[in-house]
Amino acid sequence: MASVALSEAEKVYIVHGVQEDLRVDGRGCEDYRCVEVETDVVSNTSGSARVKLGHTDILVGVKAEMGTPKLEKPNEGYLEFFVDCSASATPEFEGRGGDDLGTEIANTLYRIFNNKSSVDLESLCISPREHCWALYVDVLLLECGGNLFDAISIAVKAALFNTRIPRVRVLEDEEGSKDIELSDDPYDCIQLSVENVPCIVTLCKIGCRHVVDATLQEEACSLASLLVSVTSKGVATCMRKVGKGSLDPESIFEMLETGKRVGKVLHSSLQSILHKEESLGPKRQKVGFLG
Amino acid sequence: MPGDHRRIRGPEESQPPQLYATGEGEAPAPRDPARLRPVYARAGLLSQAKGSAYLEAGGTKVLCAVSGPRPAEGGERGGGPAGAGGEAPAALRGRLLCDFRRAPFSGRRRRAPPGGGEERELALALQEALEPAVRLGRYPRAQLEVSALLLEDGGSALAAALTAAALALADAGVEMYDLVVGCGLSRALAPAPTWLLDPTLLEEERAAAGLTVALMPVLNQVAGLLGSGEGGPTESWAEAVRLGLEGCQRLYPVLQQCLVRAARRRGAAAPL
Repeated sequence: MASVALSEAEKVYIVHGVQEDLRVDGRGCEDYRCVEVETDVVSNTSGSARVKLGHTDILVGVKAEMGTPKLEKPNEGYLEFFVDCSASATPEFEGRGGDDLGTEIANTLYRIFNNKSSVDLESLCISPREHCWALYVDVLLLECGGNLFDAISIAVKAALFNTRIPRVRVLEDEEGSKDIELSDDPYDCIQLSVENVPCIVTLCKIGCRHVVDATLQEEACSLASLLVSVTSKGVATCMRKVGKGSLDPESIFEMLETGKRVGKVLHSSLQSILHKEESLGPKRQKVGFLG
Repeated sequence: MPGDHRRIRGPEESQPPQLYATGEGEAPAPRDPARLRPVYARAGLLSQAKGSAYLEAGGTKVLCAVSGPRPAEGGERGGGPAGAGGEAPAALRGRLLCDFRRAPFSGRRRRAPPGGGEERELALALQEALEPAVRLGRYPRAQLEVSALLLEDGGSALAAALTAAALALADAGVEMYDLVVGCGLSRALAPAPTWLLDPTLLEEERAAAGLTVALMPVLNQVAGLLGSGEGGPTESWAEAVRLGLEGCQRLYPVLQQCLVRAARRRGAAAPL
C-alpha cells in the first residue's frame, strides 16, 4: 500500500482526535468521504464504473465472454477478477511493485463472491456443461488515497449493475450440433441483479476506537484493521484481519456491529444513486474520468 | 522424441474418477460442535532448519520449518520514524517471509506445486497472523523465513499451519511476545445452521462458510482472522469467533508441553 511518512506529533494528533470522535478533516468516526460514482464510462465493455473516494480513484470494466463451465459446477457461469495497480497510483507501484497488492485485492474479491447468494451464477449458464458466460471483472487503480478495498468493492458493484449481457439462444440441429444465435436487437440484454452483492467496509483500529474510511495518514497510525464485507441485508460474507498488529476480541465484536450498521447505510445510498443515474437515461451528462 | 506415433497419447488434461461419480456420498456424522480433535505436536525434528515443528490434528498433517535471521534482500523501502521502546526504526525492522505449500497429493485432486493464488493468500494470512507475535524490531535488517508444508489436508489446514509455524518459531529461539494458536471453524447448514469447531475435510467441503482464528493465548489478543462464505448475520460471525477463541485456549497447554519436551531433548542431546 502507498505509505506516507508521519512524524510522532502528527500521529499523536490524529490518535487524540479520534478519541474525541473528530478526525483531521472534520468527519466523525463512522463517516465516509464524499463518493462520486459514474457508470458506463468505457464503451468497449459490457459494463463499467468509476469511483472517486477522496483521493482514491478506481476504474472497473466488466467484459462478458463465452466460456465452458467449471467441471464441479456445470450449471453455473463464473466471475474472474483481475486487479492492476498502475504506476500512476503511487511511485511504489512502478514495475512489479504493485503485483503483490493486486493479487491480495483480487483474492479478497474472490473470497467475498465465493458464495451462492452474492451473484446468481445460474442465470449466466447458457447450456449446462457446454457454454456459459464468464464475467471478467478488471479493476484498475488510478490513484491511491487510502481505503482501497471499500472503493474497489463499490466500483465492482456499480459495474455489475451496469453490465448488459447479450441474450443468446442455443439452436439444435437434427444431427445434434448446436449453434449459438445472438439476438439482433442490441438492447435485448440480461441484467444482473446486484441486490445481494456485498460491499467491503474497512474498519481501522486507531488507539482505542475504530474509524471507517481511513485516509493514508490515518492508515499509517493504525496497526490493525478489520475488513468485513456486508450485503444490504446485513449478512456478512467475508471477514479478514489486515495489518501487523493484533486486535482485542471485544473490539472485533464492536467493529462487526459498526461494519453492519455502516454497510447498510452505504448500500442504501449506493442503490438509490445507481437507480437515479440509470433513470436519467441517455440524456445524462457524462463527466468521464478527467473531471 | 519426435513423432512417437506408436505410443497412445492420453488426454491433455486429466481428472480423478471421483468427479464422475454419481450420488452424494456419505454425510458427516453428527458430533459435539465444540469438540477438538486430539493433536500430536512435536518441535525440533529437522536437522537442517533452525527451528521446526510437525503438527497432526485428525487427518491434517503439517510440517513447518524456520530459517534465519539472514541479511534481508532488497533495499529498504520507505522511511519512518523510530519505533517506541528503543527498537529499530520502522525502516530497519526485520521482515517475516512466509511460504505456504500444499503437497501435490494432499487433497482429493492432484495440485501441481506452483499452486497459484490460493497458496499466496494463505501465505499472506500466515504472515499477518505471525507478525504481531514476533519481535521483529530485535532483528534489524534481517529476514526470517517460515515455510509451511501441508502433507495431508484433513480439514482446518490453515489453522494447523499457523500453530505449527508458531511452534517452529519458538523452537528456533526467535524472540516472541507469545505463541500463536490457530483454530478452524465451519458453518454447516443441515440440520440447523451451527458453527462447528475444528471441522474435518468432509464437513469443510459441505459447509456454507469457513473461518480461521488465530489467538495469542496469554495476551488474549486476536492475531489473525480469515473467513468467508454465507455466514449469516454479523452476530453469527461473532459467536463463531468466540467459539474459535475458546478452542484456541484449550489447545494451548498441549503446545506448551510440546515445547518443554523439545527443550529437554535439546538439552539432553547437547555435547558435554
